[in-house]
Amino acid sequence: MEILRFDNVCKRYPMGDGVVNALVDASFTINEGDFVAILGPSGSGKSTLMHLLGFLDSPTEGGVYFENRRLEDISGTQRARIRAEKIGFVFQAFNLLPRMSVFGNAKLPLAYHSNPPPDADERVRKALALVGMDHRANHKPGELSGGQRQRVAIARALVNEPRIILADEPTGNLDSKTAATILELFEELNRQGRTIVLVTHDPKVAERTKRQIHVLDGRIARET
Amino acid sequence: MNIFSGILNGLGEIWAHKLRSFLTMLCVMLGVVSMVVITGFVEGMFTSWSRNLSERGGLEKVSTGNTEPPARQEAIAKLSKGLTLGDALQLKRDLPPGFVVSPEYEVRTTLFRRGKRDWVRLQGVTSSILAINRYEVDRGRFFTDLELRDSANVVVLGTWVAERLFGRTENPVGQFIDINGQPFKVVGVLKHYELMFREWNTLRWKNDVAFIPITTGINKVGRNEKLAWINVQVDDVDRLNETVDTITNILATRHNGIFDFKVSTSEGELASFAESRKNSVFFAGIIGAVTLIVSAIGIANLMLASINERVREIGIRKAIGATGRNIFGQFVVEAVALSLCGGLLGMAVSIGAIEGLRAIVPAENAPVLSTSAFVVGFVFSVVAGVLAGIYPALQASKLDPITALRYE
Repeated sequence: MEILRFDNVCKRYPMGDGVVNALVDASFTINEGDFVAILGPSGSGKSTLMHLLGFLDSPTEGGVYFENRRLEDISGTQRARIRAEKIGFVFQAFNLLPRMSVFGNAKLPLAYHSNPPPDADERVRKALALVGMDHRANHKPGELSGGQRQRVAIARALVNEPRIILADEPTGNLDSKTAATILELFEELNRQGRTIVLVTHDPKVAERTKRQIHVLDGRIARET
Repeated sequence: MNIFSGILNGLGEIWAHKLRSFLTMLCVMLGVVSMVVITGFVEGMFTSWSRNLSERGGLEKVSTGNTEPPARQEAIAKLSKGLTLGDALQLKRDLPPGFVVSPEYEVRTTLFRRGKRDWVRLQGVTSSILAINRYEVDRGRFFTDLELRDSANVVVLGTWVAERLFGRTENPVGQFIDINGQPFKVVGVLKHYELMFREWNTLRWKNDVAFIPITTGINKVGRNEKLAWINVQVDDVDRLNETVDTITNILATRHNGIFDFKVSTSEGELASFAESRKNSVFFAGIIGAVTLIVSAIGIANLMLASINERVREIGIRKAIGATGRNIFGQFVVEAVALSLCGGLLGMAVSIGAIEGLRAIVPAENAPVLSTSAFVVGFVFSVVAGVLAGIYPALQASKLDPITALRYE
């Protein structure tokens, strides 16, 4: 079942007198249960792609469809709602709020839910247990290692039971051993049926996924 | 995001940035304190002034005193003897029956009693003084009309004078004291008057008196017959101005046209006080408003700084689903919480400041806690805080999440 579809999407930024073509004619579909890597060197346009996927940005041309709804038809507030309720974000720099406890960080998306579930705390605990961080619920992010922080960030992405998880270089700030455990976690989450899109420049990371979309100079070079 | 968790979040942010929050609260606090204290001073002046006015006879009193005749009358000034008992009797006859006329004769002299002495302002009066200057006899009695007619050697003492001559325990009534080598019988002691501001009795002058019949004063104690004052109490404040004219006419005739007297009312004093009160309130308002504007700028500045510091946080919150409205709400709640705390703190400090000032400042000018200033100061500081918080909150809500996330 289709979740996200890109239909000849272009993204151009004005830069000085000229225009930068960050993304040209990108077309692909992400279906339920997919584990996709978007692979490309830095400057290839994969970050632009990621922002479009996460509704943080709008395309210059073409159509982005989420659950068959065209992005242009969705208001800013509704996009925020979709981000809060249907998309889980994982960032390279973890992006936890430093003054909040692990529990508070993981619970944050539920605060922006249009009707927060009554069992919110239970769901946060379950998500933290799933990533193996339930024993650190009352710690502050500063007291955790990089790998632990990324697990908390993943718990945060899971807490709303999203349709799709977007991970932007989730292992970029981690040593290779920790990175491997995080990738295992993603694989496990995918086996449980979760849809995951992973953006990376590292072919070794991309290898772990089921499907790779190669981006180069703003174009989708090939899909494998 | 519901309001409760929004408030908790705001309070958490305040606690997380203690210095910044403290400075913001200080701004609001100073706004409230300056407003409450300045208004307190104005109110305090008015309160003690109006109480003192009523203890002096209030608005119904018309005072006539001696003054230098104008320069053009200098050559003929001797044609008038100044205020005399005859003037008072004439006024009594000519003014409407409901009016009270109180002639007052003054001698500064020493009272003796068994080795104790007291230098006082001895006043020769009639019983009218009780009505006009609001005196009451506490022990004994006031002197009678017969004693007045006979220039009897009787005296009524104020509590301070009585205490200095007889101590606290002895009853002065029925005992004798010595004035100018003559024995005077103490027939009464006045009520004790007190309007305390800390250790300061603003009505002390009402206890520091000694009354003898005016006839006794002129005939036996004083050296001339010139009165100090003739006070008239009108029965209706509306007749104040016409009474001033009547008194002026009668006295001018009796004084052979020499204007060696001055007729005055408290109305002028009231008007000038009302004027100065209006001015004080106006300036207090301006100072308060300026302080509040300063505190509002302080809050806005600190909130903007806090946004710059938290661009990344805003980006994260937006990426995981916060709407612009959520972010706006969060920052406004923080501003409200800060200014509320500052406002409450300001109220507490104002109470302390006013209490402290009352201990230091002379009683007549001691500030009072004015409820209206309290409420106005508090409400304004909170409103200023919220208004100052709105612009930064709007800026925060408009942040682009992508830029915000890249921000380091």
